[in-house]
Amino acid sequence: MAGRAVAPARGGHRAVSLLSVAGVTKRFGGITANREIAFDVAAGELVGVIGPNGSGKSTLFEVISGFYHPDEGEVRLDGHRLTGLSPDRVCRLGVARTFQKLRPFAGLTVVDNIMVGALTRTRDVRHARERARALLERVGLGDKAEAHAGTLSTGQRKRLELARALATEPRVLLLDEVTGGVDQRTIPGLVQLVRELHAGGLTLIVIEHNMRVITAVAQRIVALYLGEKIADGPPDAVTRDRRVVEAYLGQAYAAPAPAP
Amino acid sequence: MSGATAPAVAFFALAALAPVVVRDAFLLDGLVLILLWGSVAAAWNVAGGYAGQVSLGHSVFFGLGAYSAALLGTRWGLSPWIGLAVGAVLAIAVGFVIGFLSNRLRGPYFVLATIAFSQVLLIVASRWRAFTSGSEGIAVPFRPGFWTLGIADKRVWVYLILALAVGVYLVQLYLERSRRGYQLAAVREDEDAALSLGVPARRLKVAAIAVSAALTAACGALWAQYVGFVDPFYVFSVDLSVRFALGAVLGGIGTALGPFVGAALVTTLETYLRARFGGIGAGLVGIYLIIYGVALIAIVRFAPQGLVPWLGARWRRPAAGTAR
Repeated sequence: MAGRAVAPARGGHRAVSLLSVAGVTKRFGGITANREIAFDVAAGELVGVIGPNGSGKSTLFEVISGFYHPDEGEVRLDGHRLTGLSPDRVCRLGVARTFQKLRPFAGLTVVDNIMVGALTRTRDVRHARERARALLERVGLGDKAEAHAGTLSTGQRKRLELARALATEPRVLLLDEVTGGVDQRTIPGLVQLVRELHAGGLTLIVIEHNMRVITAVAQRIVALYLGEKIADGPPDAVTRDRRVVEAYLGQAYAAPAPAP
Repeated sequence: MSGATAPAVAFFALAALAPVVVRDAFLLDGLVLILLWGSVAAAWNVAGGYAGQVSLGHSVFFGLGAYSAALLGTRWGLSPWIGLAVGAVLAIAVGFVIGFLSNRLRGPYFVLATIAFSQVLLIVASRWRAFTSGSEGIAVPFRPGFWTLGIADKRVWVYLILALAVGVYLVQLYLERSRRGYQLAAVREDEDAALSLGVPARRLKVAAIAVSAALTAACGALWAQYVGFVDPFYVFSVDLSVRFALGAVLGGIGTALGPFVGAALVTTLETYLRARFGGIGAGLVGIYLIIYGVALIAIVRFAPQGLVPWLGARWRRPAAGTAR
């Protein structure tokens, strides 16, 4: 998408910040799922979000996409405040997402699923159908267009959700667990797809459990642990970070420098 | 989404041709009622089928239409057409309130809230004697003319209600083919996923319920004029709400022709069985209800998607007997 003039970045260490998360805190009763999380994402960047189970990754996605409203802090896209808006408004402003627990419209055909996304950007049903078909080819589901979404395999459903989110023409795409729950043979294809989207100029934030995948794909990794950001930087630095290793493996493993 | 309109064209053409051949008042009366109950079931389907907001309180809207037409006519001598419009506006207002509730309450809680609404209106209509004549109901005076809808010829009624039926059918067709229709289907399937794709789910649900309400009220106003008597315990009853839903469910929920087919079946079955077995002295008073019940169970057992999808699957694959 054509990048228009971008508001000055907060914090300033990155020249152009497209999405900024500033001091986000989200509590559920006595549990703080996110505590003062802050980071900026530059246009065209691919940022990975890692952390053990329960570290607050998904909560952060829910906050960015408007499904949760944070108790403190805010999220801005290109200077526009997203916090406080409903999820559909957030999407129309340019932030799309996939769900960790996949949610296809099971009763609709695959092409109709994608048309729902495309119709957010066009009023013309025929045009939306053309766009949907093109996107299906793009994600490799061209031959499944008329199948009911409920009949797809998990890997195909991931591609469907990806295409559906892309159909809304996002400026930032949030991917929750691209390779989670799919078999080993399916992973390379999905990873390749994410790479291509990034190469095409799309800004992505990706939650991923598979370390090999995320370190290979991401330019930068944000690590969360118990709701707090514990590291933020290039993949090789973050994966060697003492606190990250501790978080994943416990203190005993953190002492010696990890072998390459 | 589902497409073919040929069966619907055939259905409505058949209804249009019937009065040319049929002169029997009993049969014409049956046809009017089939088209009328079909229209209400289709109006219900806009909210219950396409938007997935299952209501068992749609008699609220039907009753509002019926009472508006009857009261404006008897109290101020106004045309039932004006009563229809006023009823539709009132129904839209109540529809907005129920639509708002649909954003707070899900599934069975929403259903219960809609039932509660119809019961509140029933109490108002049956107790507010000074205005509504209370539980006595209202006899709608026969004032000859089209503007006053005082029409004795049942063939004219067939065409009038047929126009209504085609109108409601076209609204449904719009919901199958338009942008808003696709978005509404997404809301029905998974509201959160729809929201994440930029679909204004809440507004769409409220709008669908309001449209459904207005159409149902229009049916109620015409029904009051056709039957000539409005009884609060009938027009605001849960029984009536169930009848609307039943027509749509049996015919095929979320299909445009389904509610008409379902309502035709229910109305025909009920009328036939009551005429055949219901008479005093037949010795089998009440057995028609048993046969009626068994027939409904059979449909739900063997065609759980409804008759129209069931027949559609058979039509496309006559050799292979099983639907998908």
